[in-house]
Amino acid sequence: MLLICGTIPRDDLTIVTGEAKFDGDKLIAGDTEISCTQGTAALVSAACVVATHYQAPAPQVIFAGDTGNGQGSRLLYDYLSKNLPRINPDILLMHYILPVMGLMKRVCEAADKCARKPVMMADASAMYAAKAAGLAGRFDIFTPDLSEMEFLADAEAIHPAYISHHLFRAEIARIDELITAAYLQKSMAKTVVVKGAIDHVVQDGKITYTLDRPDLPQLEAIGGTGDTISGMIGAFIAAGFSHYDAAIKALKANRKAGEYAKATPATKVREIIAAIPLALNHN
Amino acid sequence: MFFKRKKEQGRFAGGGLVLFQSVEEAIAAEKVLQAHGYEVKLVAPPPQLRKGCDLAVEFNIVEKAGVERLLRQKDKHYAEMLPVKGAGELLDVVKVTYFNDACMVKAGNMKLTFDKNTGVILNISGGGCPDIPFLHISMLDKKLTEVDRPKDKGHTLCALMLDRAFVGALEIFANKGVR
Repeated sequence: MLLICGTIPRDDLTIVTGEAKFDGDKLIAGDTEISCTQGTAALVSAACVVATHYQAPAPQVIFAGDTGNGQGSRLLYDYLSKNLPRINPDILLMHYILPVMGLMKRVCEAADKCARKPVMMADASAMYAAKAAGLAGRFDIFTPDLSEMEFLADAEAIHPAYISHHLFRAEIARIDELITAAYLQKSMAKTVVVKGAIDHVVQDGKITYTLDRPDLPQLEAIGGTGDTISGMIGAFIAAGFSHYDAAIKALKANRKAGEYAKATPATKVREIIAAIPLALNHN
Repeated sequence: MFFKRKKEQGRFAGGGLVLFQSVEEAIAAEKVLQAHGYEVKLVAPPPQLRKGCDLAVEFNIVEKAGVERLLRQKDKHYAEMLPVKGAGELLDVVKVTYFNDACMVKAGNMKLTFDKNTGVILNISGGGCPDIPFLHISMLDKKLTEVDRPKDKGHTLCALMLDRAFVGALEIFANKGVR
């Protein structure tokens, strides 16, 4: 079972649990309807599309409403710390959540108590918390963009806003240096998928795959197009693919979906997600 | 001694310090922040960071935008707010990419894209803190000149980086699409 956990930008929700469904426009989690916008909603929607394509079980979700003050995030950390061993997911994908290092550590400890340790995935601020807390080595998959890769390479940084200036000059030619630095200081998950103009799959500190076609620079502007990759990777793994194959299939599907959607900088992520089925049929 | 109070094991995030000129200011700020739900504690700042008094408030640095705003609203004075480790200042490098009629301004991990002709915000991407999806919904498809600044609505470091991108975008729009 793929379990996706993250916050939703609403003040009227506490904890929402249940099966996720995406109808092509809206995301339904349990009995709650959620707009398919940038963030965890986009990630879950993309995962739903992949699950449907492979006739796999729909993702299970645990959401908390949080518009930024962190109260929902703390509820979510607490819920996971208490309930993960009972839920016992095959894959735990953590996403938008206020980074609180001590609470992330508790979630990892709870994951260790599962009957079988889940595949551990983190993106967005869940990844920030895991790295800052020194827990990166307990994760199987991180999915940073290039600026987040710079954050992973900075031994001191506890958030991408505070990385050293010299690291924020990274051009694509230097990504191997960032990967080496992050790997040596144990800030990398076992598999890291770096999303960017050139996508990189990194395994145990080595670049094992790159992708730069179709070339769609406008995807970088569209909020949520990194979230969709992370969600699809989780869903591909749940459908039985290896971590490496899941990463490649997600990267390819995301670019093809952007192409089929005729993406422009004004395109909304739900339009990209709506094109994923077409991309999967030709992937 | 305040700064010998034992840390609540495994919960407190920390990572940021508010420095003060006087002990009274530090204690008053701690009370205000705690009253509004922030997890903070009084600590002795490292000697190299000490500014006025030898008492500081430690907080989760990720929540910098919200802490700054609350102290300002409550008229609580402080000398400086900075991370305990790493770079002492927020990343200030701004990069600009043009796509025909659209312009993408990138500050750190945050990107804001707007229509150069109308100033309408087309997309917000990057980031990972929980106020970003909220700011995304609040700002999308509205004019740059008609929305609140991200730092006035957000709570986190991602919101502060989005604010830098927003300010850069405003300047470019005011300059008719040219940086």
